[in-house]
Amino acid sequence: MHPAVYKVGLQYLSGDIWGGNARCIAMFQAFKEAIKDYSTPPEKTLIRDLTARISSYVSFLIECRPLSNSMGNAIKFLKNRIAKLPLVLSESEAKATLMSDVDRFINEKIIIAEKVIVKHAVTKIRDGDVLLTYGASSVVEMILLHAHELGKQFRVVVVDSRPKLEGQLLLRRLVRKGLSCTYTHVNAVSCIMQEVTRVFLGASSVLSNGTVYSRVGTACVAMVAHAFRVPVLVCCEAYKFHERVQLDSICFNELGNPEAISKVHGREDINYLDGFVNQEKLQLLNLVYDATPSDYISMIITDYGMIPPTSVPVIVREYRREHLWS
Amino acid sequence: MWWRSASFILDGQQHQNDGVAPNPESALLSSPSMADSALNPKSNVSAYYQTRAAHHAVITSDWLAQAQAATDDGDSLGSEAQIGGKGEGSGKAFSVIDEFNNWRKQPDLAEAVAAIRALAAAIRKSEATTMMELEIELKKASDSLKSWDATSISLTAGCDLFMRYVTRTSALEYEDFNSAKSRLIERAEKFGEISCKARRIIAMLSQDFIFDGCTILVHGFSRVVLEVMKTAAENKKLFRVLCTKGRPDRTGLRFSNELAKLDVPVKLLIDSAVAYTMDEVDMVFFGADGVVESGGIINMMGTFQIALVAHSMNKPVYVAAESYKFARHYLLNQKDMAPALRPIDFGVPIPSKVEVETSGRDYTPPQYLTLLFTDLGVPTPSVISDELIQLYL
Repeated sequence: MHPAVYKVGLQYLSGDIWGGNARCIAMFQAFKEAIKDYSTPPEKTLIRDLTARISSYVSFLIECRPLSNSMGNAIKFLKNRIAKLPLVLSESEAKATLMSDVDRFINEKIIIAEKVIVKHAVTKIRDGDVLLTYGASSVVEMILLHAHELGKQFRVVVVDSRPKLEGQLLLRRLVRKGLSCTYTHVNAVSCIMQEVTRVFLGASSVLSNGTVYSRVGTACVAMVAHAFRVPVLVCCEAYKFHERVQLDSICFNELGNPEAISKVHGREDINYLDGFVNQEKLQLLNLVYDATPSDYISMIITDYGMIPPTSVPVIVREYRREHLWS
Repeated sequence: MWWRSASFILDGQQHQNDGVAPNPESALLSSPSMADSALNPKSNVSAYYQTRAAHHAVITSDWLAQAQAATDDGDSLGSEAQIGGKGEGSGKAFSVIDEFNNWRKQPDLAEAVAAIRALAAAIRKSEATTMMELEIELKKASDSLKSWDATSISLTAGCDLFMRYVTRTSALEYEDFNSAKSRLIERAEKFGEISCKARRIIAMLSQDFIFDGCTILVHGFSRVVLEVMKTAAENKKLFRVLCTKGRPDRTGLRFSNELAKLDVPVKLLIDSAVAYTMDEVDMVFFGADGVVESGGIINMMGTFQIALVAHSMNKPVYVAAESYKFARHYLLNQKDMAPALRPIDFGVPIPSKVEVETSGRDYTPPQYLTLLFTDLGVPTPSVISDELIQLYL
């Protein structure tokens, strides 16, 4: 086990690194270190041994925290590149090629993709808008900051929820840059939705039938927005698209720590569930993700442009083709 | 044909105060297009609707005022026009617009098709010697056409699609310039022909959907829908048409005129009577000014209302649109697009404190549309984005 991979795994476990893009980039940096220090053992070929090594790292990371869809796609890309290495390359050349491929992937599919998404999304923000966002998505944060830099006059409503309270981090960064923000809890979303003109959401992944797989609570916000006829814009890089189809939130999900929902940190007086945690008949369900049906989504903004949710399979088809040929 | 109203006087005074000097290069009535292009930069009125009005000879009051002012002006711009016509090497953009206006004068030709023909002519007449230069010239010509009327979706879409279609051949870099240029011209002509024939193809595809004894509701004067009706009448189908009156352009009256010539039973309704008559309607037909990426359409004001009523009463809504109208806009709601203002004559003077909603078009979201008839087939609205992705990526 390479120390860099071990470190990243522990960071996932403790929750120091979270968010689709951050996890993917950290994983790739760790893999780059591992590839740099790698040397082919005697009697083995680089391609097969390295693939087996990477697979063992991946199983370790899964033990720490289940993979997100974006990480799954990224690993498929890496294995594909390893398998396509020409046999004539020497070990150092092969390693250098792999590392530059990984750098290219991070650059094109994550960093530049975010910039393209921001460029498209700010055209949909007008002066006088009230924008609502849920949780903390890195892309949505970049969009809001960029629109503010361009001088557009708008207000932001940040909706947050327990147990992660991720919205507070986003809120801090926005207020520091001078945006006027409102902070509220997801229980109040139907009250606040009357004033909202646009909803911007991030996504962990978008599935082939247009369903958006994102932090738990996103589906509620999208549904309420739909009921109030507020357009919902989901911002997601194309490498996070997946061929899977999911109809509800239960069939594929991740379970978080049940203690997190039974205890409220710092409020000892309302810890009514103290001592109840190990009961047989009580199941504390802390779901991490949920699935938002495509009817509630007005538009998906990707690095390929603004598309309706029904066009996701077209992008999956085109993207796979490009990624297999490159 | 001449619509006199009290506001004619008010409008006439207002526009003469603006001090517009149109170019009277020929007699008033034969070149409404030149007057329109002069009018365009001064008032906010969309040139697209002015052209439609001009083709169908609805003389609006401010056009009359312009025409009057034109007779008083000398032929100061006559010589200018001559110079512009001679200098082909110098004013390239000018001659594209000229060509465009020449094509546009035929009332049967859609604006985007005229633009496509003009761009094809621009390639043919170009004096460039390298591929790069030719592409740059073409881009400039296309930009000048688009800026001529920034509110027309089909014009922008048509120019963009032409550029993509024509420059898409990958083998262009490897051939010598002349054969590459002739290939470009070939593709351009082909695109022009496809666009011209688009209406016939749409008319043929839609015949299956018009059955004997059906009642069709139409809104707005769409030449494509007219073609569909003509073909159906030629195929001896028995159907009747309900036409909305389509204020303020009186499009319904003109459409019903055309249909009456074909011996198709027509009934005119006022715009507010649509919900009342929706029970007896079997299907609704619209044309489109533009089809956007979400699959929705931009069409004359009133389309969204009718689509909503039809949807709530479970009547199918069909849209007939040529494929060059597919645009890369994505609209979230009505106000998301650049407004195309249209002069609305209420027939009585409006008090100065009262605002008038002068937008000429609205956006109908895709969930209210059943099928789109295009020259590429009969898809549901969600396929538009697929087509655009395949073309642009």
